[in-house]
Amino acid sequence: MAKLDPGMGAALPRGVACGGVPPFDRHFFASDRVVSRIGTGALGAKAERLAAMQQILAAELPPGRWRGVELGIPRMVVLATDAYDAFLARNHLDETALAALCTLPDERIAHAFLHASLPADLVGDLRALAEHAHAPLAVRSSSLLEDSLRLPFAGVYQTKMIPNQDPDPGARFQALVEAVKLVYASTFFAAARGYRAAAGVPLSAEKMAVVVQEIVGRRHGDRFYPHLSAVARSYNYYPRPPATPDAGVADLALGLGKTIVEGGRCWSYSPRYPKAPAPFASAAALMHETQNRFWAVNMGPPPAYDPIAETEYLVEATLADAEYDDTLRDLVSSWDAAADRLRPGTGYDGPRVLDFAPLLLLNEYPLNDVVRALLAVCERVLGGAVEIELAATLPVAPGEGMRVGFLQVRPMATPGERVDVGAEEYAQGGLLLRSREAMGNGALDTVRDVVYVRPDRFEPRLTRDVATEVAALNRRLVAEGRPYLLIGFGRWGSSEPWLGPPVQWADVAGAAVIVEAATAGMNVEPSQGAHFFHNLVSLGVLYLTVREGRGDIDWAGLERQPAEGGQALLRHVRLPAPLRVRVDGRSRRGIVAWPEPGQGQGGAA
Amino acid sequence: MSTTKDRVYNSFEMAQAQFDRVADFLELDSATRALLRDPLREYSFAIPIRMDDGSSRVFRGFRVQHNDARGPSKGGIRFHPQETMDTVRALGMWMTWKCAVVDIPLGGGKGGVICDPHNLSLREQEQICRGWIRQVASDVGPFKDVPAPDVMTSPQHMLWMLDEFETIHRNRLPGFITGKPVGMGGSLGRKEATGYGVVFTIREALKELGVRPEDTTASVQGFGNVAQYAIELYTQLGGKVVCVSCWDQKDQVSYAYRKASGVDLQELLGVTDRFGGIEQTRAAALDYERLPGDQWIDQDVDILIPSALENQINAETVLRIRPRVKLIAEGANGPTSPEADAVLKDRGIFVIPDFLANAGGVTCSYFEQVQSNMNFFWSRDEVLGKLDLKMTAAFEAVLDVAKTQNIPMRDAAYVIAVDRVAQACRDRGWV
Repeated sequence: MAKLDPGMGAALPRGVACGGVPPFDRHFFASDRVVSRIGTGALGAKAERLAAMQQILAAELPPGRWRGVELGIPRMVVLATDAYDAFLARNHLDETALAALCTLPDERIAHAFLHASLPADLVGDLRALAEHAHAPLAVRSSSLLEDSLRLPFAGVYQTKMIPNQDPDPGARFQALVEAVKLVYASTFFAAARGYRAAAGVPLSAEKMAVVVQEIVGRRHGDRFYPHLSAVARSYNYYPRPPATPDAGVADLALGLGKTIVEGGRCWSYSPRYPKAPAPFASAAALMHETQNRFWAVNMGPPPAYDPIAETEYLVEATLADAEYDDTLRDLVSSWDAAADRLRPGTGYDGPRVLDFAPLLLLNEYPLNDVVRALLAVCERVLGGAVEIELAATLPVAPGEGMRVGFLQVRPMATPGERVDVGAEEYAQGGLLLRSREAMGNGALDTVRDVVYVRPDRFEPRLTRDVATEVAALNRRLVAEGRPYLLIGFGRWGSSEPWLGPPVQWADVAGAAVIVEAATAGMNVEPSQGAHFFHNLVSLGVLYLTVREGRGDIDWAGLERQPAEGGQALLRHVRLPAPLRVRVDGRSRRGIVAWPEPGQGQGGAA
Repeated sequence: MSTTKDRVYNSFEMAQAQFDRVADFLELDSATRALLRDPLREYSFAIPIRMDDGSSRVFRGFRVQHNDARGPSKGGIRFHPQETMDTVRALGMWMTWKCAVVDIPLGGGKGGVICDPHNLSLREQEQICRGWIRQVASDVGPFKDVPAPDVMTSPQHMLWMLDEFETIHRNRLPGFITGKPVGMGGSLGRKEATGYGVVFTIREALKELGVRPEDTTASVQGFGNVAQYAIELYTQLGGKVVCVSCWDQKDQVSYAYRKASGVDLQELLGVTDRFGGIEQTRAAALDYERLPGDQWIDQDVDILIPSALENQINAETVLRIRPRVKLIAEGANGPTSPEADAVLKDRGIFVIPDFLANAGGVTCSYFEQVQSNMNFFWSRDEVLGKLDLKMTAAFEAVLDVAKTQNIPMRDAAYVIAVDRVAQACRDRGWV
C-alpha cells in the first residue's frame, strides 16, 4: 500500500499529486471522474491527500464493503497554486503591495481581492465549471502549509459554501469567483498572519490552491445539508473511561460540519465504544447540552449581498426545522417524560435529543464501522494518528443507501516527550496553579509573562470584551517574541460567548500555556472546537482546566506581582525568572510553579 | 511592387469567391446567393469639414450593412488613406460571417473614411467623426447598426460619434456604439478581447494537435492591440514568442524583431514610440535582432500569428513557411490568399481562419452592447469567462464540421456561418 508522508505540505508521492490528477476539461461534470485540476502547479496538502485517498479508498474499501453504503470523495476541481501566483502577479500584488494591504482590516483586504481580476486563462474553465455543476459547492483552501503535521493551519483560511443553483449561469459564476477570491484573500487576513508569525513561517513559504467540491447533502425545501457531519481522530487527548487515548474520538453533528469545526455543540464518542454512556447527569442535561441548531446551505431567496462573509449563503436552523425536513429519524432519541428516559428514534412524541442513538446504539446504518475502517486505513497510510472529516446522507426512500463523502484527512501530532507529574509533585507548595485536567504533554521553562482575566472584574457577559483585549495583548507579545501563560474563565475558543471567550486561534496564538478556570455559572466541560483544539495540540500548547476540586490557582500571588500592563479585564505581569510548567499527558496532572526563591516569586498555592 | 499587388488584390472579389465556394457546397438557391453575395445597403457620402488652417476639405465616408437577418449590423469604422468601397464591402461581409460563426445575434457591417489621421489634428478628426454620424444618423442605431473602432480609430473617436448621435436623437443611447472608454459605457476586457480570443482558439487547436502550449514557439506579424494581447496570453500559457514584426513610422517600412530566448512583451512595450512602433535603437540595446519586416514568416517556429494586414500569406510568401510550422492563427482579417490556403491545406498546416480566430473582438463588442443597453456593467472575470466559453464553443463547432465533412477549418467556419445567415433569411421569409 502507498504510504503518505505525514510531514509538511508537499506530503505525497509526486505521482499522486499534480501529475496524477487529470487536467480539467469542460465536460468534467458529465464524466465519471472525481478529481480534476485547473493549472499545473501544486495542489496543496489538502487536495493532494484527497486525490491520493481517492485511489487508496477504491482499493482498500471498495464498493460493496458494506451493504447499502456508498463511500467516496465528492467530485472536486482543484485550482492549483500557479493560478494563485498568476492572480497575484497580474494584479500587481507584489511583496510591497501585499505588505501595504496587510495593514488594512480583513474586510478591506477582501474587497481589494474581490476587485482584482482572475487570470484570463482561468476564468473560462471556472465559467464552464459554474455552468455545468449543479450541486451546491464548497470552496476551500488547500495551501502548501495547511494540514501539515507541524503546522495544521486548521481553520485559519476561509471556506465558502455556495448554493450554485441560480438559473443564471452568470450569477453562479460570479458567486464562485467571489468565493475563490475570498479564499485567496484569507491568506493575508489577520488570523493567517498571526498564525504564521507565531509559527515563524514567512509569507513567501505559503501558496494557496483552492478546492471546489460538491457538497454532500440533500435539498430539503430552502435548506441543503447532510444528515450528519463527522470529525474523527484516531488519538484522543480527552479519553473518557473506558476509552484509552488510542481508542480515538469522533464528533458528530447534524448538518454541515461547521458546527463541529467551530466548537459548537456536537455528539462526542469513542468509535471503539460507541455505546458507552455519555457524561451527562440527566436526560434534561442532555437536552440542554446537545446540539439544537445546525448549519445548512441556504437554497432559498438570495441573501443580502455580502461576498466577504463566510456565512453569506449559509443558514442556521433549529431541530424543529430538521424535524419538518424529516431528517431526524435516524439521528435522535426522544425524551419520554413519563419514564424520564430517552428512546431512540422519533417514534415517541417528546423533545428530541441529538445523540445519534439509532446509528450508534441500534446500528441502523454502519456509520461507526465506516468511521473505524477509515481511521484505520488513514492511520496506516499516513503512518501515524490522523484526523478525518466526513459527511453522510441517509436513505429517505426504500432501495437507497447511506452515502458517505470523505472530505478530508490530516495527520495529527501525538505527545512525544515523557513527563511524569507524580502525586507528590502535584501536591507541593510554591505553585501558581495545578490541574488534574491538563491536556498536552511536556515541560516548559521559557514563560515569564502571565496574562490573566481579573477574577474581581469578570462576568460571563463580558467574554467578547475579554477576547478583544486578549487579541491586542497577544499581538504585542507575539511581536516581542514572548511566550506567555494565559488564564481566563470558561472555554477558550468557544463560538458561544456565554460558555467562554470567543477567541479565534490567532488571538491567542502566542500563548504557550492556556488555562481555563471555572467560575460561578461557567463550569463548562473542557472541550474545544476541532480547529481550535487541533491547533492547540499540534502546536504543543499546554491546556489546563482548573475546576473546583480538580485544581487551584494562586490568584493572590498573581495580584502581588507588579503589573506590566493590562486593560479593563486583563492584567499582564512579567516575572523576573521563568515559570516551571510541567504537564503529564498520561496522568493528566499539570502544574505551573513560581520561579525558585531568589529568582523572584509569588506565594504558595 | 506593392502597387502591383494592390491592383491585383481585391478583397471584395476574394470575399465573394469564398462565399461562392461555400454556396456551392451548401447548394444555396440563386436568390439566397444573390442576397448574400452583395451588401443589403450601402452608404457613400461626403463629409465636409473646416480644417485648422481655415480651409475647407471634403472627406469621403462609407457605411455598408451587409446583412442584418440575425440582428443589428455590427462592424468597425476605419480611417485609412487607401480606403475603398470594395474593402468596406468585403469587411462588412466578413463581419456577417464572423458574428454568425460565434453565434451572436448580430449581422455584419463596416464603415470607413478616406483619411490619414496622422496628418489630422484631434479637432479635425473630431469633425470627421461628427460629420460621419450626421450623414448616417437615421440609418444606424443601437437596434439597427452598431459601429465600433477599427483601423486608426479609437475609443475617443467612438465617444465623439456617440455624443453626436445622442445629440441628434436627444437621448442617451450608449448601446449605439461599442469600443467606448471604460467608465463611459465601455466594457472591461474589451481591449484584450481580440488577442485573447486568438489565443483561446490556439489553445484549443493545440489540444487537437496533441501539443502542449509550453512546448511551442510562435512568430507574430504586427504589434498592435491584437498582437500584444495575443502575445501576453500565449506567453502566460507557457508559449514563447521569438519574433514580432512592427511598422516603423519613421522609415515607412516594417521590421521584424527577433530574440531566440523569447520576446518580453513588457520590455518591448517600454521601447515603443508615440505611434506604438518599436524603436530600433532601444530594441537593439535589449538584444533584439532587427530583420526586414516580411521575415516574420520565415521563422522556424510552431505557430504563425499574422495580426496585421490582409494578404500577407500569399502564393509567394507561403513557400517560405518553415516545415516546423504546424498552426496558423489568423489574428488579422484576410491575411491568407486562396492560393496560399491551398498550399497550407496540402502541407497539412492547421489554419484557424480569421473570422473565427479574431472573433473575440466582436464578441466582446456584443457584450459591451448588451451592458450598455441594460446600462449595467460586468466584471472583467465575467466578460473574459464568457468570451472564453463563446470562443471555445465556436472553435469546437467548427472543428466538428471540419472533421465530419472532411473539409478545412476555413471552409467549415464558412459553412456554419453562411448556413446560419441563410437560414435566418429564409426564416424571415426574405428568400
